[in-house]
Amino acid sequence: MTDAASKALLPIGLHDTLAPMAEREASVVSTLLNSFYSFGYGQIAAPLAEFEETLLSGVGASEGRRMFRLMDPASRQMLGIRTDITTQIARIATTRLAEAARPLRLCYAGQVLRVEGDQLRREREVCQAGVELVGEAATTADLEVLSLAIQSVRAAGIDGFTVDLTLPQFVPQLCDSLGVDAETTARIREALDSKDIDTLNALEGDAGALFKALLSAAGPADIALERLARLDLPAAIASQIDGMAAFVAALREQHSKVTLTIDLGEYRNFEYHEGLCFTLFAPDGDGELARGGRYSVSGEDGDAETAVGFTVYVDAVMRARAEDDVPNCVFVPLEEAAQAATLRAEGWRVVTGLTAAADAAQEAKRMGYTHVYDAGQINEL
Amino acid sequence: MNLQKAKTVSADNPLILALPKGRILKEVRPLLDAVGIEPEAAFNDSSARQLTFNTNHPGVKIIRVRSFDVATFVAFAGAHMGICGNDVLLEFGYDEIYAPLDLDIGHCRMSIAEPVELSKTDDPKKWSHVRVATKYPAITSRYFADRGVQAECIKLNGAMELAPTLGLCRRIVDLVSTGDTLRANGLVEVEQIMDITSRFIVNRGAFKTRPTEVSAWIGKFEEAMNANAA
Repeated sequence: MTDAASKALLPIGLHDTLAPMAEREASVVSTLLNSFYSFGYGQIAAPLAEFEETLLSGVGASEGRRMFRLMDPASRQMLGIRTDITTQIARIATTRLAEAARPLRLCYAGQVLRVEGDQLRREREVCQAGVELVGEAATTADLEVLSLAIQSVRAAGIDGFTVDLTLPQFVPQLCDSLGVDAETTARIREALDSKDIDTLNALEGDAGALFKALLSAAGPADIALERLARLDLPAAIASQIDGMAAFVAALREQHSKVTLTIDLGEYRNFEYHEGLCFTLFAPDGDGELARGGRYSVSGEDGDAETAVGFTVYVDAVMRARAEDDVPNCVFVPLEEAAQAATLRAEGWRVVTGLTAAADAAQEAKRMGYTHVYDAGQINEL
Repeated sequence: MNLQKAKTVSADNPLILALPKGRILKEVRPLLDAVGIEPEAAFNDSSARQLTFNTNHPGVKIIRVRSFDVATFVAFAGAHMGICGNDVLLEFGYDEIYAPLDLDIGHCRMSIAEPVELSKTDDPKKWSHVRVATKYPAITSRYFADRGVQAECIKLNGAMELAPTLGLCRRIVDLVSTGDTLRANGLVEVEQIMDITSRFIVNRGAFKTRPTEVSAWIGKFEEAMNANAA
């Protein structure tokens, strides 16, 4: 390997982003943040690394296997590099902002690092942007947050995505009310999540038929709700279905065109969530764009507080959206450099020549600009 | 950033069904007939260079790839649905694949085999470290790890039976159906790891974003299975 090649090589899952991609990514992040601001969410920033123990508490509990760790020579404690920003927001909400008025609306954008990429997204460093609404249990909060997720992803240039709704605690609660033991419950959850009919067929008693019916109820919201309503469920559990139906109706009022699906078996990565959770899927099987839902955060005094939020996976959004055109840029030769300020004031991107060029148009082409300034005119190349 | 793909985004794109080449394909044909998928004529010509095939459904195309690649195409949403053995599914453990149906075809088992001579004195309970030739390093290491045995896997892509004869290792983990190949090479099964059948698999994203079509095909395959069993 040559010296230059070995310098260019980066560790697996890490990459440089060049122009104009880096600009596009920054502009997508800023579009997302602007959507969040427009709903009154205040932006906060947290450090890249903090004490491992804090990062692994609460909703972060399942992140241990994905976290880079380092020893802090100052405190002699283990630090973790964040794999997710939600946990940090929860920490801030319950410590520094414990006394702030509720409901608390917070948003963020930043990089996270993982030991290993996902099977679909091999990147180990990715950008996440999201919001958390802390301290309000009413379903209007869930509605606001999901609505904001839909609007912000759409504003970032994606259309035709699907919103998948789930209640991750539904299956365990149903199992509990049917007296199913913990081990079987885990098996049922796993089977429903991976859509494995055989495992359900192998269940003893009536439970198998009920869970199979639950599995076949996964799909477009209207059909799913109709099938779920026909299930013979204990009253306490059935009321959750009514709640879901009311939520779907309310969401439709705001977003009549969005494709909604319901899949009560879905629980992967929602292990620590309770209440309603949702995932935004890119069109044609390109993976997850954003996900979120309701969870609880516990403060230093041990009191639990409810929160609902979501995270947008900026890299997935970048992949799913159509390519933008290269931004327009005018080349102004050195002799005309005095005009640059006026053109910039008009909103143009302007590059001025640093040395005299024999042929300005030729020079602009060589540098890859879209326009050239010539004799008082802007000509497209 | 990895932006090479500017895929046209449309629900009108045909659904792609990935089928495995070889042994299992023969068993898949009756199922295709039962669900009413008729591939174009070139599909039946195993020497054809063509890789994508139209069917009698304008919304369904078939690709024919290696069994291991069926799982990969489906996991990365290159294909929306597919048929492959659970050996492949367990080897990769793709989260993005749903396996809603056991098609009850392609039956065989995954086993540990060793030379007949060795098996006379060998006690599997006493193993602490084994070297194994296999096409399935992930399943093999996991299986041995569960038993508290260190397994050093040598990845081969075929003709595993040669490995003990030529001294690469003493044991192999491979699929066994009749056991003829093992016997012909002086090997014997000492432990069975699992039973293998073929599954109907679906990409998770496709299941979420095109639920009506995908569920309809799952339903058709399930019906075809039940009709077969009845």
